[in-house]
Amino acid sequence: MTESTKEIKVSRNTKPKIGVYVCHCGVNIAGVIDVVKLKDYALTLPDVVLAREYKFMCSDNGQKLIRDDIEAGLINRVVVAACSPRMHEPTFRLVCKEAGLNQFLFEQANIREHATWVNMYDSEGAYDIAKDHVRMAVAKARRLLPLEVQRVKVEPSTLIIGGGIAGMNAALDLADEGYKVYLVERTPTIGGHMAQLDKTFPTMDCSACILTPKMVDVGRKDKIEILTYSEVVDVSGYVGNFEVTIMKKPHYVDQEKCTACGACVENCPITVGNEFDLGMATRKAVYIPFPQAVPGQYTIDMNACVKCGICARPDVCEPGAINYDDKPEYMKVKVGTIIVATGWDLYDPTELKQYGYGRFPNVINSLQMERLLSSFGPVLGKPVRPSDLKAPHKIAFLQCVGSRNFREGGHTYCSRVCCMYATKQARQYKEKHPDAEVYIFYMDIRAFGKGYEEFYESASENYGINYIRGRIAEVYEGENHNIIIRSEDTLIQTPIELEVDMFVLSCGLEACADAGEVASLLSVQRSADGFFMEAHPKLRPVDTLTDGIFVAGVAQGPKDIPDTVAQAKGAASSAAALMSQGEVEIEPYYSVVLEHLCSGCRSCQSLCPFGAIDFDEVKNVAVVNPALCKGCGTCVSACPSGAMVQNHFAGFQLESIINVAVKQSSIENGGK
Amino acid sequence: MNENKKRKYAFFLGCVAPNRYPMIESSIRAVFDHLGAEILEMEGASCCPAPGVFRAFHIPTWLVIAARNITIAEELGVDIITGCNGCYGTLRDAWWELNHKPELKKMVNEHLAKVGRQYKGNIEPKHIVQALYQDMGMDYLRDFVKHRFKDLKVAVHYGCHIVKPSDKRPWGGEYECPTFLDELVEMTGAKSIDYKDKFMCCGAGGAVRTAVKEVAADFSREKLTNIRDAGADIIIDCCPFCHLQLDLGQMEANSVYGAMIGEPFKIPVIYITQLLGLSFGIDPNQLGLIKNHELAGVSPFIPIEPFMQKVKEELT
Repeated sequence: MTESTKEIKVSRNTKPKIGVYVCHCGVNIAGVIDVVKLKDYALTLPDVVLAREYKFMCSDNGQKLIRDDIEAGLINRVVVAACSPRMHEPTFRLVCKEAGLNQFLFEQANIREHATWVNMYDSEGAYDIAKDHVRMAVAKARRLLPLEVQRVKVEPSTLIIGGGIAGMNAALDLADEGYKVYLVERTPTIGGHMAQLDKTFPTMDCSACILTPKMVDVGRKDKIEILTYSEVVDVSGYVGNFEVTIMKKPHYVDQEKCTACGACVENCPITVGNEFDLGMATRKAVYIPFPQAVPGQYTIDMNACVKCGICARPDVCEPGAINYDDKPEYMKVKVGTIIVATGWDLYDPTELKQYGYGRFPNVINSLQMERLLSSFGPVLGKPVRPSDLKAPHKIAFLQCVGSRNFREGGHTYCSRVCCMYATKQARQYKEKHPDAEVYIFYMDIRAFGKGYEEFYESASENYGINYIRGRIAEVYEGENHNIIIRSEDTLIQTPIELEVDMFVLSCGLEACADAGEVASLLSVQRSADGFFMEAHPKLRPVDTLTDGIFVAGVAQGPKDIPDTVAQAKGAASSAAALMSQGEVEIEPYYSVVLEHLCSGCRSCQSLCPFGAIDFDEVKNVAVVNPALCKGCGTCVSACPSGAMVQNHFAGFQLESIINVAVKQSSIENGGK
Repeated sequence: MNENKKRKYAFFLGCVAPNRYPMIESSIRAVFDHLGAEILEMEGASCCPAPGVFRAFHIPTWLVIAARNITIAEELGVDIITGCNGCYGTLRDAWWELNHKPELKKMVNEHLAKVGRQYKGNIEPKHIVQALYQDMGMDYLRDFVKHRFKDLKVAVHYGCHIVKPSDKRPWGGEYECPTFLDELVEMTGAKSIDYKDKFMCCGAGGAVRTAVKEVAADFSREKLTNIRDAGADIIIDCCPFCHLQLDLGQMEANSVYGAMIGEPFKIPVIYITQLLGLSFGIDPNQLGLIKNHELAGVSPFIPIEPFMQKVKEELT
């Protein structure tokens, strides 16, 4: 559709001619209230010159009604009474714009979410509410002023937070499209949790074999700057122009001088548990997390190091790379977009005391089991149980540990991967020990992905894995640190007691412990489960509600590797789509200073959360930087002189709404 | 403790303690007095009413009677303490329900108005263990310990209503492995030993004792077997009904399941304030630890002399 050549001039003094369009929204609205009556009511309101109702205002034909009325010169302001402006405000604004009317002379009354959906069984009540909304929207429409959108340049670069499989995939795609990527990872290596896995369901691909080439690719790309052992400490700016401060934590090993000979590790006297193997193997205070780490840089863990000085001796570190006085470095980068791919933490089952984790040595979590099964893990893929380092004959898995738990402290959601990884681990163990007895205690088996059901079926049919439907009530220790399980087999309705050699808790995934800090750093929202919230659960699954910031992988919610990679590629594509335009439009909702009223008290300046207010020392007035202003309105309410006005939400506009909302109802209710 | 702010509690007796185990009541009074807390009497208090009986049949009746009991303490203006898990379960659950559900409070007050009472919800029903452990605190209590028991192995039995339902209890959501009672026991120098199925029911709860005594005795048999296997010298509990089941229940288990049990059970059952009182140096007579009669069918049914013999040395 081409824009109308004829531009309709509207100013503060132009007499308002308002068109009101009532949408049926199929039966969503029309099935509850009388839309014809509502349309007639709208005609009684001041400055309303025409009103129409139509089945779907958002349809082409619905849009055409508005366009024709504008182009015929019948109206110069538009009110649509329909769904949430979150849904269709952009649609109708575009209609206005195409018809030559300033797009900010549009107002939407949300009578679907606010009236008919919530009062589905109270037609009269819903109608009264819808009337209120239409009246308020018309009142505001009368006072609307034309505004001009701002266009800002977009930096062709992306910050990706998190170097797991999600962050890596997004980085590779963006780099291939020619964008600069800063890949920030807080641990000393990229790879994330996937590097800890042995095989992947349902194809039994070796995780390391498919991951490490990707890691090397990421390391090789010129366009990708890997910032491992680094954290994002500050983010300012706005879509297209974020300014990011990154802290590079000190490695205490000069990466320029280090030749990765490993002599420091051999000579280090301090041994601690290796995080990569969940404490089941050791590492030195100076270490590389695992052999395939990228970048292969040595780091001294200063929480463990006693600064004995051995590694720094010239006969140990010949290039003299050890530097105990290394300090954090801060770097600032400018990026156009940000992708959050911070991943997950494993649920800690210690609090579920009935399962004995942390109390009994032979109760382990599923990530520990994964490391035990891994060919480059602490036991080279020959799992043993912790108490006597012997291969267990009987193993039981318990599903939904920390997931699908509606008690206090648990997570209510399904973690989506545990049914399959437990099945995979059980199969792997049976492959190594065909005589072993393996039990999986489950609530439901959720094998929803491509090839998953077949994988599960085969585990039961061909591998002889025993699936028992029942929640385990409690476990206790028998002789030889064996674990005795008490449960009910709900399919045969019998309480059972089962003695096993090792007990694996299939723990769920949860949002990273510091997801809250990341959320406030980026001003993005989280849903009730703690994961980052997408802008729309179906139609905008990789966007956040903050423009220019995207989310990928488990950071958004539990998902398996295929879904994570798909979402990462989606996020990369969305970021690229934004950057490829070169410019973005910013809604002109910023505050403006009425200089003749401003007394120069600077109250607003200290309160502005975005640092968007400067001060003009010569004129002695506040100055708003429209590019930084987010339109929060804090300065407006703080200004003691009434000198701050926020575009589109000006005091006189809001007052007009309040006036009709309050006065009209009181008259209808008998008045005073 | 600040003397100007002397702790005061309204004492809800319940039924089992006054009727079957007066030594429990006596030891609670002695210990609270010794710790500088004043106990006020709840004139006109009735049955709590029993959670397993009244609540199981008619919740509104249960709620109104419980609320009436709470209003007696409200008139005194102090928190309630009770030494019984069942009374605690009723009073605390009722208190929680009434303070969270205005419509129930309205219903209850309509009934209470007929007897000139009103439920306000401004005091809290507490277990004596809660008052000791949380109001006074371990640091405060530790200063009163005079005698420390060496080599005394204790099987701690919590009972059910003191920890469950966890959201209406003051233990921070803990219900699987609470430690507060073990901590009080170990403060006296005794060792709280681990035993299989420590949190298993005594057998009496849920009106099982009333309805099918053999089933109750079977529960007790299993629990007592585990306790004996772990080598406990005594059992410590904090509920008169559990106390009855673990004490008299030993005789019942011995007679019904004698063949399974072998050597008959004779593990002394001691109430928590009896043990604390001894450790604080209170006269054992006041704590009901000296049996000065030979009447049959009068509690305690399992002789507690072996316990007194065991700790005699530390007391002198």
